[in-house]
Order: sequence, then structure tokens, then C-alpha cells
Amino acid sequence: MTDNQIPAELVMTGIAKVYGTNRAIDDISATVPAGQVTVIVGPSGAGKTTLLRIICGLDAPTSGQVHFDGAPIDGVPDGLAMVFQDYSRSLFPWLRVEANVGFPLRRIDKKLRRSRVMEALEAVGLAGKEHLYPWEMSGGMQQRVAIARALACHPRLLVMDEPYASVDAQTRAELEDLLLTIQATMKITVLVVTHDIDESVYLADNIIVLSKAPSRVSEEIPVRLARPRDQITTKEDAEFIRLRAHVLRLLRNIPEAPTGAGSLAAKVTA
Amino acid sequence: MSVLTRAAQPGVSASDLPRRSRLIGRRVVLSAIVPILILLVWWLGSLSPTKGLFIASPLATVVRTFQDFLGGNASHLFLGTVAWQDLLPSLWRATVGFWLALVVGVVVGTALGVKPVVAALFQPLVHLGRSLPTPALLGVFFLLFGTGDWPKVLLIAFGVIWPILFNTIDGVQGIGTGRAHVAEVFKLRRRDVLFRILLPGAAPKIFAGARVALSLSLIMMIISELQKSRNGLGYLLVATQRNFDYPGFWSVLLVLALIGIILNIIIVRIERRVLAWHQGATSQHD
Ligand SMILES: Nc1ncnc2c1ncn2[C@@H]1O[C@H](COP(=O)(O)OP(=O)(O)O)[C@@H](O)[C@H]1O
Ligand SMILES: [Mg+2]
Repeated sequence: MTDNQIPAELVMTGIAKVYGTNRAIDDISATVPAGQVTVIVGPSGAGKTTLLRIICGLDAPTSGQVHFDGAPIDGVPDGLAMVFQDYSRSLFPWLRVEANVGFPLRRIDKKLRRSRVMEALEAVGLAGKEHLYPWEMSGGMQQRVAIARALACHPRLLVMDEPYASVDAQTRAELEDLLLTIQATMKITVLVVTHDIDESVYLADNIIVLSKAPSRVSEEIPVRLARPRDQITTKEDAEFIRLRAHVLRLLRNIPEAPTGAGSLAAKVTA
Repeated sequence: MSVLTRAAQPGVSASDLPRRSRLIGRRVVLSAIVPILILLVWWLGSLSPTKGLFIASPLATVVRTFQDFLGGNASHLFLGTVAWQDLLPSLWRATVGFWLALVVGVVVGTALGVKPVVAALFQPLVHLGRSLPTPALLGVFFLLFGTGDWPKVLLIAFGVIWPILFNTIDGVQGIGTGRAHVAEVFKLRRRDVLFRILLPGAAPKIFAGARVALSLSLIMMIISELQKSRNGLGYLLVATQRNFDYPGFWSVLLVLALIGIILNIIIVRIERRVLAWHQGATSQHD
């Protein structure tokens, strides 16, 4: 894509969100570094979707602030694109793939739009499928269309809310690798929300672990696994196994095993 | 039927073409049974010594329909005098009334659908309008709008707007927060949201409403012409009965039935075209 697309940095400070008497988010401060993959992982109901809605400017926090490249956000920031969890409700069944992907680009010239749509479809491996309707495709292909729609905007920050929660395991692995390839070639900032621990470790440069609601940041974990990652070799790496055990403990609120035995114990249980 | 298929079975060839054509033939035969029965009952009724006086025979009705509605020369587009004097004015009023209802119903329905506050504000009025029996308003419309075409057109529009209005509101509200978020995150233009998300998304519901409205508009068309009218099919129904012209009366009924059938064929065709995506999308989710 265009090489002047500088990845964006996102900073959350003291975010809280209260719905009536229900305190969904207590206090979240974290940084999503530019040009990296950050994964937010947390139990169901931890307020992950709520947090993303605040980051996207769809919803205002009760207190706290989000900065997008240093500027406080007010409304949806320019350069932010999103992939929603439920492709069947985020794509438009009355539009063909090409029109779906090009929809956000309706302000720009037709020829340029078409070339950007084709480029995005190419990137997600759907070249030649532009004349299909979403409902003529499998779930995995539909989610690729949703990813292509986000990429066609040339985003500086790509936000994804449990993007692979409704596809089968095989497709999920393919889409994880697709995301990593895209991120490596385009060098954009990626923020993914998931409740899948393996996925969080596999994708991330940084993991933000959330506690149960009212949620706080349990820990920010840097992941130093080598890239490019591989579904088999990365997942049998001792560091991968140690990290997934560590995240699981945090989520289940189990104290860490004594130092030294940690990685061994994790290996045995895995 | 079963005798037929069984007799043919031993000779079934590798090609399934004869089987296909037999299936189609079977469907044609099946769908012809009920109309033939109706014709038979009609014909028997016309022979009845007591009721026969009021029931023109099917043949007399068809002959009369051709004379009245199709007797013209080329300069009259081969349409008969009655077609020009009564059929076309009726259809014109029904068409204008229907389209008026469609436009107003979709515009108002969309406005009410996207603004829940406005919808709540107008809800009592809408329910009042819907529950008024439209035929009873005939006199009011004549008082308000004189005696020309307008009271009739407006009565038809008023009578048929409700299914369109309610279905549009329903359809627009059914778009869902998911698609609303897409529109917001991707900063879609307001008119794109309106014309490419809201209206297409609501189209299946709007179509269902329009279909009901279309058949209602024929009913309202007749009702609006029963009083204070100098032409139209409704007027003709009253006039022929008054003159004991039963073949004429029955020919009007036949024409009305034909209009209903033709309109239905047209709307099914349009629906198949415009809503192909809807059939595809819903069949995938089954
Ligand atoms: N619009 C809303 N109104 C009221 N409560 C909400 C709303 N959205 C989310 N919540 C509440 O906030 C909490 C977190 O929800 P959510 O962000 O969807 O969690 P997650 O995505 O982590 O599963 C839940 O208790 C949910 O009931
Ligand atoms: Mg969620």
C-alpha cells in the first residue's frame, strides 16, 4: 500500500465506564504501540467490546481519555478501521463483494477506488471474487471481505473485536496467519480483542490482560516470540507455552508457580 | 396422475428430459383443476332456474368482456369503449393513489424509523389513522376535496398507506446496531446510509407492505367509485346491476380478477429481480 502511511499510537489513560449501577470498566490505562500487534484478552463480560467502542469514538468513557497519535479522540479518529465480530451483520448482503469493500471509499474517484478495492482483495486472498455476494461465500471468506474493507481504507490503526470467534478452527488459523502477514507487509498498528489465550500469544507483540468486570489491567505482557510465526513451530516453543500458562493463570486468578518450576510446570500441563 | 406416471415408468430412459417435462405437465394440470371447478360451478349456477337470472354464463361473460373492453380499432389501441370510459380512469386513479401512498409511506416511515423520538410522538396519530375504517371516510373525502378524481385518489392513498408505513418503520428499525456501527466507523455519508443501507435493508419489508397495498388499492378503487361517480369500474358495477345488465356486471368482475392476476405476476417478477439477494441470504441461513 502507500508507504507514507505512518502507523498510529494509541494511549488510554484512566478509562472507566459505568452503565447505570453496573461498573463495566473500573480503570484501564495502557498503551498500544505504533506498528505493533497488541492483543487485549479478558474473560467474557470484562468490557472488551465496551473498551473498543470507546477507542473507536463510538461511545464516551465515564471518565478517562484516549489519545490517538497524541490527540484526544472525539468521534471516530481518521485512519482507524474496524473489523467487527459478526460478519453476517457487518457486511451488506445486497451488495457484491466489490461494493462492500469499496463502500467506505465512496468519496474518492471511481478508478482509484476500484484499484484500492482490488488491492485489498488481493491482500486477503480473494482476488477474482469481487462479483460474488457475501452470502455466496463461506464464513471465513466473508470475514476476509470484512478485513479487506478495513484495509481498503488504508488504516493506520486496525481494530478487531473477536474477529475469528465465529469461524472454525482451521479457518481461524489461516486468518491469524493472514493478519500477521498483512501487518508485517503494511506495518500498521493492530489492536485485536479476543478471549482465546492461544490466539492472544500467537498474534501479539504485547498482551493486555484484563480482569473480570469491573475490569482493570491485570498485566501488560511483552511477547518476544520470533517472527514470522508459524502455527506449529511457534506453538511448540517453550516461551509460547510459558506465556499461555501465564495468561491463563492471570485470567483464572491462580498464583504463579515458584520461579524456575514455572516453565516446566506449564510444559507438563500443556 | 399416478396411473399415468406408473404406466410411463418402465420406459424411463437415461435422459431425464421426459421426466422433467412430465413433472411440468403435472404441475400445469394440478394448477388448472381449481379454475376449472370454479368455471363449472359458475356455469351450473347460470343454468339454475332461480339464480340463473342474475348469473350470466361464463361464455356470455367472456363474449361481453371482449366486446366492451377489446372492441376498438387501431386508433383506440384496440381497446373498447368501456375500457376507455371506465377501466383506464379507474386504473389511473388506483395507480396515482398507490404511488402516492408508496412515496409518502416510505418517506414518513423512514423518518419515523430512524428517529425513535419522532416515532413515539406520532404513534397515537398513526394508530388512529390506521384504525379508522377508510370506506367510512368516503363522505368526508368528498366534502373535503370536491367530486373529481382527487377525493378518490386520496381515499385510495389513505386506505393503502398503512401496510407500507408500518413495514417501512419495521424494516428501517430492523437494520440493527451492527450495521449502524459500520456506518459510523467508516464515516459513510448520510445519503449513502439512507440510499444504500437503510432503504435496501428495509426493501424486503417495504415490498411485502407494497404487495398488500396493491391488492388493497383495487378494493379501495372500487369503493371510491360506488358513490358520486360518473365512470370507473365501481360505477359500472352499480350501473349494470341497476339496469339488470348481468352480462355487463359479470364482465366487470372478470376484468377485476384479471387485473389482480396480472398485477400479482408483475410484482412477483419485480420482487425476484430486486430482492434476489434477500432470497439468497435467507436461504443460506436456513
Ligand atoms: N449498551 C450497554 N448498556 C448497558 N450495559 C452494557 C452495555 N454494553 C455493555 N454493557 C455491560 O458491560 C459489561 C461488559 O460488556 P462487553 O463490553 O460486551 O464485554 P465483553 O466484550 O468483554 O464480553 C457487561 O456487563 C454488559 O452487560
Ligand atoms: Mg465482546
